[in-house]
Amino acid sequence: MKYALYLGCLIPARELSYELATRKTMPALGVELMDMDGTSCCGPFAIQSLDYTGWLALAARNLCIAEKMGLDIMALCNDCYESLMMVNETLKRDKQTRDNVNEILSVASKKFKGTVNVKHTMDVLCEDVGLDKIRSKVTKPLNGLKVATQVGCHLVRPKMLHAGVGRGFEVLDDLVRTLGAEPVDYDDKEICCGGPLRDIDDHLSRTLSNRKLSALKRANVDCVVTACPFCYVQFDLGQLEIKSLLKEEYDIPVLHFVELLSLAMGFKLEGPQLREHRVPIDRIVRKLE
Amino acid sequence: MTSAESDLEFIMSQIHARRRDPDFMQEVANTPRGEGLLSCIQCGRCAGSCPVGRLTLKYNPRRLIEMVNLGYKWEALFELSWLCLSCFTCIDRCPQGADVGEVVFALRSIAAKDGNVPKGALTMAKNLVETGHIVNPTASVSKQRASLGLPVQEPVPEVAKMAKKTGFSKILGLK
Repeated sequence: MKYALYLGCLIPARELSYELATRKTMPALGVELMDMDGTSCCGPFAIQSLDYTGWLALAARNLCIAEKMGLDIMALCNDCYESLMMVNETLKRDKQTRDNVNEILSVASKKFKGTVNVKHTMDVLCEDVGLDKIRSKVTKPLNGLKVATQVGCHLVRPKMLHAGVGRGFEVLDDLVRTLGAEPVDYDDKEICCGGPLRDIDDHLSRTLSNRKLSALKRANVDCVVTACPFCYVQFDLGQLEIKSLLKEEYDIPVLHFVELLSLAMGFKLEGPQLREHRVPIDRIVRKLE
Repeated sequence: MTSAESDLEFIMSQIHARRRDPDFMQEVANTPRGEGLLSCIQCGRCAGSCPVGRLTLKYNPRRLIEMVNLGYKWEALFELSWLCLSCFTCIDRCPQGADVGEVVFALRSIAAKDGNVPKGALTMAKNLVETGHIVNPTASVSKQRASLGLPVQEPVPEVAKMAKKTGFSKILGLK
């Protein structure tokens, strides 16, 4: 199994721990990751809102890089995954739009052919690798760890778009269970983290994450695990903001799901990885040792 | 007056103060991602599903569609469209396939043509055109990446070329 690794821009700039954990765990599970040269931003929702055709061209340019490598894309971020996947499907289906986008891509000397697919890390893990194989690679089962999961909207909604993959909010719970931990239900589990309103309406954005965090506190979990780097920021950095601005303190460690996988497979999270977490995760790491 | 009441009063004052543009509905329906508008039956299931609607009366997806259908083309409507999270819960629950969560993209892009873009989104878009990325690593992160043997994130000048061609640069007020 070989994939073109699409990092996006948030992860390589702010969430190195996620990237490092992915680069360690995936090869150990038989997934070879090839770096993509010269990728740009994927065209997330704020950009899609401003220029429809520009968004198609921006995402298509990244798809062209994977086409040239002859590899399907594995995206680490929900927004990157959904944006690239939507554009890939639209351009494969609609010749007129494809021609139009290829005309724009000519200034970048690229041409979209429609020869690759786009997957999220979660799909590569749960479908290509499979939960059975993951279970066989778990050397340090996360026994006794109570984990709340936050899948992130853009991995599952709108349903129509993800119909082919057929996954829902339970996908991360299944993975957590495979690693030996106990997934815990909480109120408002399927509600957005508020991330998309960050920098647009900060007050509403914080109110949303505050509600989710208080539900997590009530559920009495050891940590929350996210599949999306934006949900991660919203919960991790968000807890500091909420502490200073709304005077609420939660102290709930937030981990990327690949970091949890990494711990279960016996890979240590090293110094810089631990320091990146605004809410310390040392107690989780210690609990498992 | 509670903040919910003042939100509602704000909306009503806007409605009464404006003239209607009878062509607005058609304009939105003809904009990419806007066509779903025409299937809306105003049942309000989207409003009951909306996580933002739970927090503020200002944003109500059903009313947003109603306002468009009635031809209320005004700045505040465009500003309201930016309160959508794009969580797409409304799309999953709409019995008509009216895709309210998609229509907001059409509204925002119409507003953007007149330079009506929230500051946060404008900053993201400018970063993108100038460097190819919305978020760029700080100097210390770049150093850290190099020491860990991770690939360096380079600027992508091709993005500016494409943005010029689609007219995106012009929307952002860039040359």
